Amino acid sequence: MAVASPSVPVAEHHDEEVDQLYAETRDLRLQGFLLFLVSDCVLFSSFIFAYLYMRNTGQSWPPPGIHRLDVAFAAVNSVVLFGSGATMHYALENFKHGNFHKYGILMVATILLGAGFLGGQAYEYTNLIVNEHVTWSGSGIFGASFFTLTGMHGFHVFVGVCMLTILLLQSVAGVYTKQKFFGITAGTLYWHFVDVIWVLLFTIFYLI
Amino acid sequence: MHLDLVSIEHIIAIAGGIVVGVVAFYALYQDWRTPGVENNVFKIMLFLLGVGAIVAILAGAGVLGNFPPEKGA
Repeated sequence: MAVASPSVPVAEHHDEEVDQLYAETRDLRLQGFLLFLVSDCVLFSSFIFAYLYMRNTGQSWPPPGIHRLDVAFAAVNSVVLFGSGATMHYALENFKHGNFHKYGILMVATILLGAGFLGGQAYEYTNLIVNEHVTWSGSGIFGASFFTLTGMHGFHVFVGVCMLTILLLQSVAGVYTKQKFFGITAGTLYWHFVDVIWVLLFTIFYLI
Repeated sequence: MHLDLVSIEHIIAIAGGIVVGVVAFYALYQDWRTPGVENNVFKIMLFLLGVGAIVAILAGAGVLGNFPPEKGA
């Protein structure tokens, strides 16, 4: 470990070391995070292709006895999630430009919209299970694929909401600065990823 | 004019989709010249977000996902 020169205060020297380490490792962190997103993409792709394959081997879709999913409600829920993507993007932009107050408001809006989407999904699940008697194990390929894929996505949204809440608390605590904010960038990338996956799921489950 | 719940859902989907779509494509336009890996990933994500908003508008307008009534319904 480097020893601080007598002319430079120890705390200041430590900050310089941290800044240098951050600058050196930022690209690596970004690459690592993008690789994580790619691996998550592969996970979703395998389930989506399995669903599409099984769906196209059946004679009718949805299977007899199961009604089509509620497109109008899902469209509203989708808009809620896509809206949270927009607020998250501008939250990051405001943080970059030092508008911390606007950043805080937009982060809270993103968290609320994400939680709203989860609430909508919980309502839809309840409606399907209670009124339509569609279950994960008792409704064949349709129930299994629908609950697996949307449940997996919902879990990602839940993790994202928790992550954004932690990021907001960290920001308030002063963990991130105008120069060092990779955590918020990663959070934004993750949230956009979750949005984009929902575009696919919404299309294949509700619109085709 | 009578509005039922489904009609309100359609209106919200269309209006919300337009707002999100405009914001997404405007953000994409603003970020278009920014360099770097993460900004290029953001551009792809914003474009797909805009596409998602268009899909939501079309679904809300009944252009997509408008299936004929099921037998016995």
